[in-house]
Amino acid sequence: MAKGAVLVVDDEAPIRDILSFYLKRAGYQVLTASNGAEALAEMDRSRPDLIISDLRMPEMPGDELCKRVKSDAATRDIYFIILSALDGTASRIGGLSLGADDMIPKPFHAQEVLAKVDSTFRLIEMQKEIKRQNKELTAFQQRVQEEMSLAAALQMGLLPKLPGEAPGCRYTHRYLPAEGIGGDIYAILPLPDGCTAMMIADVSGHGVTAALISAMVKTSFENQVRLGGEPLSWAHGMNEDLCRSTLAEQFATAWLGRLDPAANRIRYVVAGHCAPLRIVGGSKGGLQRSEVMRGKGFMLGLDEQLPFMEQEAEFLPGDRLVLYTDGLVEVERTDRSMLEEAGLRRICAELPVGAEAAADAVIAQARAFNQPAPFVDDVTLVVLDRMG
Amino acid sequence: MLNIQTRQEGTASVVSIQGKVNFEVTAQLRDVIRETVATAQPKLLVVNLEGVSFIDSSGLGLLVAARNSVDKSGGKLHLACLPAPVKKTFDQTNLTNYFSIFSTEQDALRGA
Repeated sequence: MAKGAVLVVDDEAPIRDILSFYLKRAGYQVLTASNGAEALAEMDRSRPDLIISDLRMPEMPGDELCKRVKSDAATRDIYFIILSALDGTASRIGGLSLGADDMIPKPFHAQEVLAKVDSTFRLIEMQKEIKRQNKELTAFQQRVQEEMSLAAALQMGLLPKLPGEAPGCRYTHRYLPAEGIGGDIYAILPLPDGCTAMMIADVSGHGVTAALISAMVKTSFENQVRLGGEPLSWAHGMNEDLCRSTLAEQFATAWLGRLDPAANRIRYVVAGHCAPLRIVGGSKGGLQRSEVMRGKGFMLGLDEQLPFMEQEAEFLPGDRLVLYTDGLVEVERTDRSMLEEAGLRRICAELPVGAEAAADAVIAQARAFNQPAPFVDDVTLVVLDRMG
Repeated sequence: MLNIQTRQEGTASVVSIQGKVNFEVTAQLRDVIRETVATAQPKLLVVNLEGVSFIDSSGLGLLVAARNSVDKSGGKLHLACLPAPVKKTFDQTNLTNYFSIFSTEQDALRGA
């Protein structure tokens, strides 16, 4: 197989012959032309990898040929070596400024030309390889980006549809993943007995792995809720599911709750998650008092044997529930301080009427506090108002 | 940037950590712990957290995984010198009851 195609352009037949002889012997395919116009015609028929061209020729001289080759996007990448009898630095620079890739002064030794052609082909091969890899990488990157945005859209589809409605309640969320796709998830499910099951979870880490596990957490929660029971049994069931299906360092913090509107109470389990806030009479807006729904419990997915504890809190008509993930309150500012639970409670001391407006206010004030640091972790905020 | 130092104390290995333990640095810390466990095969691995200003969920996950892998090879993992903010994170996630935690490195090395 030929090593590559070289087009030799010279008006002197003996020079074409001697170059052809050496190049063919070295294994190259050789095309010839006696001037620039012939060379262009030849290039219409076959595409050389390299052109070696004399400068002074009738019809079309080498500089004109070089200009045409280098100004056409289709031929620009063909290597162009000028053969020139005009020795000296001035003509060398002149040749290169035409866009030629290299020059060989005349008179030349055929061996010298051959060595230059060999080294040029090594460059050509390398460039071809880089181009090929670059193309593959670009295609791969594009595919990954497309899949990521598809996955992000799918993940948004896993969240409850807004405006959210549960028996006697209205809610909304703000979901801000750190990398387009995130490890936060929440769900609110009306139960046949008139109660409402609620869950918010934060899977360790970010990105695709965390997102996959977050989908698993949601499915596991729905399965547990369907089995009936209380948040305590849901927590045990979800913990077992996660222990079985995740790797060593992956787990989720979660808060699971069951709102019983007839009893005005929420039974809940804190599994290593930020304790939610109950804002007493919060759905009416204005200055309000918040209570932290405290509780202690391990994260889900650590160890199948770990115990969980169920707590209970009052939740009256007109109350507001604020569920969130730690990304909202754990942004380190330049002075190393963070918003934390205390800061969120200060923000929640006065929020507007309506879950939408309240959620906007919380995010805006948390951002203002964090300035100039942006959110770095996945952030989820859920505001649920119990109608009074 | 995380600063990690390791040393041997008899059959125990001590890993001391300074800085913020979050998603960006867990790979670095995981390698150090893995290598320490693989080469020294310590009966006791003490992780000194005195210089840690913040730990996030990836960091916690790493410590849990480390404890489990040391457990499996018949050793123990003790945590020492948790600063207040780190202690708070451990309390919130109830990990205070999952790990053996000591207030000084000496206690952790002696730790029954």
